[in-house]
Amino acid sequence: MDKRCISVILGGMLLRLLLFTAFPSLPTLLGNRVEISTPVTSFKRLQEGLFLYTHGVSPYDGGVYHQAPLLLAFFSMMPSSAMATNLIYIIADIQSTLALIDIARSGWSTKSRLHESKRKEMAWPAWGVAAAFLFNPFTIAACIGRPTVVFTNTVILTAIAKAIQGRPTPATLALALSSYLSLYPCLLLAPLVLLSYDFLLHCHSTTLLPTNFSLSKFATTQVTIYFTAVACLLGLSYLITGNSWEFLASTYGVHLFLPDLTPNVGLWWYFFIEMFDPFREFFLCVFQLHLLIYAPGLTIRLRKQPLFVCITMLGILSIFKSYPSIGDTALYLSLLPLYRHIIPLMRYSFVVTSAILYATLLGPAFYHLWIYAGSGNANFFYAITLVWSLSVTLVVADALFAVLREEWEVEGNGREGKPVVQI
Amino acid sequence: MHLLSSLPKLRLFLTIITLSICLPLASTSSSVSSASSTATPSQAPSEHDYNEHLTLRPLPGNSLLASFNFKSNGSLDHGDHMLLFPRSLKQVLTASWARELHVKFTLGRWNAEEYGVQPNSGRTAGGTGVEVWAWVEAGDEEEAFARWTTLTNALSGLFCASLNFIDATRTIRPVLSFQPTGHHSDATLSRLHLLHGSLPREPVCTENLTPFLKLLPCKAKVGISTLLDGHKLFDANWQSMSIDVRPVCDDNGENCKLEMEQAVDMVVDIERSLRRRDSPIPKPRPHDQLLCDETKPYLTEDASCFPLDNLFDLGWSLSEIFGRPITGTCPFGVKEGVEALRVCLEVPDSRPVFLSVGSQERKFDPQNRCFLLPGEGYFDMILPKQRPPTLSPSTPPALFAERSFTGYGQERGGVQTILRNPSLTHSVDFVYLESLPWFMKPYLHTLSARLSGSPQANNEAFIKETYYRPALDRKRGTHLEIRMSVPRNSTVLLTYDFEKAVLRYTEYPPDANRGFDIAPAIIGILESQGVVGGVGGGEGRKVVSYLRTTSLLLYLPTPDFSMPYNVIILTSTVIALAFGTVFNILVRKFVLKSEVPKLGGRVSGLVGKVKNLLLKKRGKE
Repeated sequence: MDKRCISVILGGMLLRLLLFTAFPSLPTLLGNRVEISTPVTSFKRLQEGLFLYTHGVSPYDGGVYHQAPLLLAFFSMMPSSAMATNLIYIIADIQSTLALIDIARSGWSTKSRLHESKRKEMAWPAWGVAAAFLFNPFTIAACIGRPTVVFTNTVILTAIAKAIQGRPTPATLALALSSYLSLYPCLLLAPLVLLSYDFLLHCHSTTLLPTNFSLSKFATTQVTIYFTAVACLLGLSYLITGNSWEFLASTYGVHLFLPDLTPNVGLWWYFFIEMFDPFREFFLCVFQLHLLIYAPGLTIRLRKQPLFVCITMLGILSIFKSYPSIGDTALYLSLLPLYRHIIPLMRYSFVVTSAILYATLLGPAFYHLWIYAGSGNANFFYAITLVWSLSVTLVVADALFAVLREEWEVEGNGREGKPVVQI
Repeated sequence: MHLLSSLPKLRLFLTIITLSICLPLASTSSSVSSASSTATPSQAPSEHDYNEHLTLRPLPGNSLLASFNFKSNGSLDHGDHMLLFPRSLKQVLTASWARELHVKFTLGRWNAEEYGVQPNSGRTAGGTGVEVWAWVEAGDEEEAFARWTTLTNALSGLFCASLNFIDATRTIRPVLSFQPTGHHSDATLSRLHLLHGSLPREPVCTENLTPFLKLLPCKAKVGISTLLDGHKLFDANWQSMSIDVRPVCDDNGENCKLEMEQAVDMVVDIERSLRRRDSPIPKPRPHDQLLCDETKPYLTEDASCFPLDNLFDLGWSLSEIFGRPITGTCPFGVKEGVEALRVCLEVPDSRPVFLSVGSQERKFDPQNRCFLLPGEGYFDMILPKQRPPTLSPSTPPALFAERSFTGYGQERGGVQTILRNPSLTHSVDFVYLESLPWFMKPYLHTLSARLSGSPQANNEAFIKETYYRPALDRKRGTHLEIRMSVPRNSTVLLTYDFEKAVLRYTEYPPDANRGFDIAPAIIGILESQGVVGGVGGGEGRKVVSYLRTTSLLLYLPTPDFSMPYNVIILTSTVIALAFGTVFNILVRKFVLKSEVPKLGGRVSGLVGKVKNLLLKKRGKE
């Protein structure tokens, strides 16, 4: 690791420490924001769950705590001081940065087994990617507000980093942990397996690999490992929560059935507030299936770049999952700099940047008008969530366009920089 | 009418009266009063006794507390011999396996600072709205809840109240606050389930009073119940109607009977009652009739006035306060002894009281002046204006409790209860019970108790025991019970934070922006431990009196109720846009723009042909 990376990490760490110590009320203030904390990630709810858990009341027999049981066990072992908790969150962010640096240094985003970009020299160095993550205001807000989505992000980044380092089993285990923490990362399983497979084929000479090494065998092994790991984690949770499965309905059931309609930056809450009762189940199914459908499409079309499939899936999840927060968007936006070289090919960069800034600034204002000032109604905040979702959608779609176009440019000569159409 | 003199036929007749709700009231009343001449007390079996009395106590601020009490007994067996016990209620109790039942309808606010302790130590009063609790005999919790549902639905019909809305989200099972007051055998006790439900929003009104009075043997036609008139009762500052049914046995556990106590307590504003009499349309009093404090220096000559209170006791009479005098006596009541039908007045001997002819004064205890009702005719009581006022000091309650919301905004908030122990010598132990709806989500880790004035929370010193059952969305409300102790002459603040849920738009009531009522907190004062500092078990101590805080109004954030279609359409559009864009990019091929054939190649060909034709024609010409 070079000096620049280390100084970026140190800078990010100091900034966070400074924010935690200089503004002691900031974590509570940010943690109370609906854009940062959702019912399934809120730190205050985690504290309530911990309190109930340490006092012998099952936190899953109630409507407040919807997070994974292992978090309870983890935090009940940690010292309960605020500083210790803050340090845990800072360490999680640093671990994420380290994983990102690993991903960036491998250069897998520009040159992989099946694809080699012609714009390689434009890619950002590792320290740049790390800085884009550590000094992203969304990432900082998510770290200071202390939602548990920070841990999910760390685990996802670790999974990707391990896959690129040619260690498929740790990658799959990390992915299993992230799915255990917040369900939706399970959609990354297919691209992650492909990513590990590509790397193994590319970097190890055929002699090192078993003679009958094939994708189907490799995938079967990894999927088995994944499900075994998830089962083990669930079994462990079963033991932690006093031999009861009720945590399943209270954690994953909440992700799936949306009983808590607290506002967030996503599209679900207002839709299901206003939904007519007979159609509620139908639209729940439609919304969940809608998320599911992107995974195979992207994986097949972008077979050459599974890393970008992972990133795009994270972007789509940050818009369309049931309880999204800006922590999810922060993860997507900090993975995009890995693809710095395709940014010139994006068509709506200016519009998208303006729209994201617009939603970021107006969101809290409109929420205040609705909830505190009483001079606006729910539609104000709803409109801003629509703008936010649309703008992130545009980023996702535009980046996807740029990557596909770049792939197409690589496939033939004389295509660079010329106007194209899709037919 | 001479046929009725034999007892079985009288029973039959009374049963018919009890059941026939639609019977013209005039004929019922005449039948009862004529029956009264034939049914003498010696004919009524002792276990079916009935008595009623009225206690009147002047309160500060020219208010008057009127406590009506009606007690009747029925047999415990499952036969049809009801006599005075209302058959309709007995059938409900039998069908729902309720062994002990308490129903309270309350309205208004009991001002404990002025009025002191509640009548009957708060035993007969409930929280604002309707409150029901019952011990239901059942094998398990599920069966108990099914029977509880039967009970609340039946009571709902019986009392014309929305008791059927007490569903699982409004039902709790208190563990510390309530103990059975009747006698239950140990075998039964182990099978009893206590369920408690409250409807803080229920507006108690005349339609609840009418069925309440129908349960009385004399049905507000004779006796002291004739004073109960909806116009007067619901004009009171505070009023409570309660029904307590419990099995009562003698000391050996024999001779059990089912006792029903119906009580109506009301605090009447004497001045307002009299003003109604003088002018039915409320008008401001002319300036020369106002009682002003002339000593206030800041009052100028013109119409300003600083009103004076408690200068004298207003003069009043029963018929002025209640609109009518007591008519006759209920013929089924006990006529002799301590339990005799009577009207008692808690005023000192110095205050003159004028009675109507035929009534006599009896002294049962020194504080009370009781009067036996004359057998027939009207009974009225006149207290003339008295100056200076003769107020007997009110007993302060063991604890003053005030509960309010803290914080602002529709996202989250806090609850603060101020608990003040007025006693200079004793600490007070009590159980604090909260039953919150599921959409108000308390954070138990923020629960703290601290002395007023000290910034440091000190939960261990004040909170002895906590029982908490968290809410489940749309399934169950929060149930929080705390056993606490407040040291002598001090004030403890109990606070906790909560979060407000956003509901589906169909779950809001039509007047969503009015807010949601939160049931009053119930505080049961535990009996003192006897020896100060002695080893007292926290468990098993009896609750000696109850008090309740006021209900609260919770504002929830509301969606826009007018645009479900718009929201569905807009959100679906965004999703369709995302889906369409992404898959459009995924499935289409990239082509260089220069390679794409020019739009409308065929059209230009056609145009060329036409041009050629035209040119040919021109050439020929």
